[in-house]
Amino acid sequence: MIENENIASVNLPDSDLVKKLQRTKTPVSINFELTARCNNNCRHCYINLPENNTDAESLELDINEIEDLADQAVNNGVLWCLLTGGEPLLRDDFSEIYLMLRRKGLLVSVFTNACLINETHVKLFKKYKPRELEVTVYGITEKTYEKVSGIKGSYKLFKNGLDRLLTNDIPVSLKAMAIHSNIHEIENIADFCSKHSKKKFKFDPFLHKRYDGDEKRNKKILSERLNKDEIVKIEQNNFARKNALIKSCDQLIFYQDIDASGRVFTCGVLKNGFEISYDGKLRLCPALLHPDYVYSLRIFSLMDAYRKIAENIIKARSYNEDFLNKCNKCKIINLCYFCPANSFLETGKLDTPIDTFCKNAHARQKAILEWKKSSSLS
Amino acid sequence: MKIDIINKYYKNKDVIVREIEGEYLMIPIASGIGDMEDEMYTLNETGIATWEKLSSEKTLETVIDELCEEYDANKQEITTDVIGLIEELFKRKIVLC
Ligand code: SF4
Ligand code: SF4
Repeated sequence: MIENENIASVNLPDSDLVKKLQRTKTPVSINFELTARCNNNCRHCYINLPENNTDAESLELDINEIEDLADQAVNNGVLWCLLTGGEPLLRDDFSEIYLMLRRKGLLVSVFTNACLINETHVKLFKKYKPRELEVTVYGITEKTYEKVSGIKGSYKLFKNGLDRLLTNDIPVSLKAMAIHSNIHEIENIADFCSKHSKKKFKFDPFLHKRYDGDEKRNKKILSERLNKDEIVKIEQNNFARKNALIKSCDQLIFYQDIDASGRVFTCGVLKNGFEISYDGKLRLCPALLHPDYVYSLRIFSLMDAYRKIAENIIKARSYNEDFLNKCNKCKIINLCYFCPANSFLETGKLDTPIDTFCKNAHARQKAILEWKKSSSLS
Repeated sequence: MKIDIINKYYKNKDVIVREIEGEYLMIPIASGIGDMEDEMYTLNETGIATWEKLSSEKTLETVIDELCEEYDANKQEITTDVIGLIEELFKRKIVLC
């Protein structure tokens, strides 16, 4: 208990300060994709390049550039920061970057596959705990993990890295991607994650297409995507997920058509966060790669680039009748993977309804309404 | 430990203070500072004025004198206020001595 009126303790997520920040017009988080390179080569990955890809490495932002962008973000009230990749721990200067960002008062989280966690990282994370350390679990058997990761020996590295974190009491959040290569053990993955994680287990069945448009890799990604029945089944089998869907049914399924009046962007993209690609480009959503919404921070300041993208987002209108009659009015858009960024990745246009997404969303709608009905009856 | 104004109290360099939307947020960045993991603190005007003056080069009494001069306020009141604040900060390792 604090007994002096000049100081008060705050629980940030519920604080007035965060509420105030959320009302501001600009993002309150900055996410650095420190590298596109990765020690793994996951079948479903939208970004990874080989760890020894020197061309990609030479384009990466250096620590001074990252510091300059962080200063600009801090001066604009940004509070949260995420370090991701590729695999961020592949960078030799990861520890320096991490500490530099912490010392600016940013609340830093890290996404990693845990394979490269060594004693230096353990010491660092023990003394300077990340806000969140999120590790993705691709499988809990060697066969499955390595089928997904594509790298022999990676399962052992993952287990050792995760063990190092857990035995040193460094809290981790564990999550999974649900894909064809690991769907047979997804329930065991869920149990494993719930046992070792401080947070509720999360899984994601949606796979983005490649950011670099690599057609061969895109084929692999499509072959890993679950179909509508598989998605409904894993959601039904996961108690927490099913309940959350039932509870938020009214936010996910509207009673009436919405009226987006031709606006292409109806999501919260202007406030999502500053997404900084490994080669120094600003996007407001990691998957929004259309050139009208990507500006180089090696040319523009953070806020100038933000304003240019924001202007283009606000004025974007669609004249595609198919889109205007479907997605632009859609009652279940919140259940659908459709968004302008994904539409662009799938079709090269921002406003094209996507048949498989549509089928998935309708199957999920039907299932959720049935679950809701039977839960209210019981 | 009792707070004594003849001591020199200084800021723990593992605590960052940021002004955001007119509020002063204290962010402990190393483990073991504050009461709980993840806890943060806000300071009011007097709190931040005191914090900014703390230094390993000057006694708390000097800090109090500077505050009295700046705010043209009663020394007794300021002393009570500042000692109360330093007590809270010191027991959480936000300031060191
Ligand atoms: S570990 Fe992550 S970044 Fe690396 S290849 Fe797999 S999904 Fe991609
Ligand atoms: S693809 Fe279908 S379900 Fe998805 S937003 Fe468009 S109309 Fe709605």
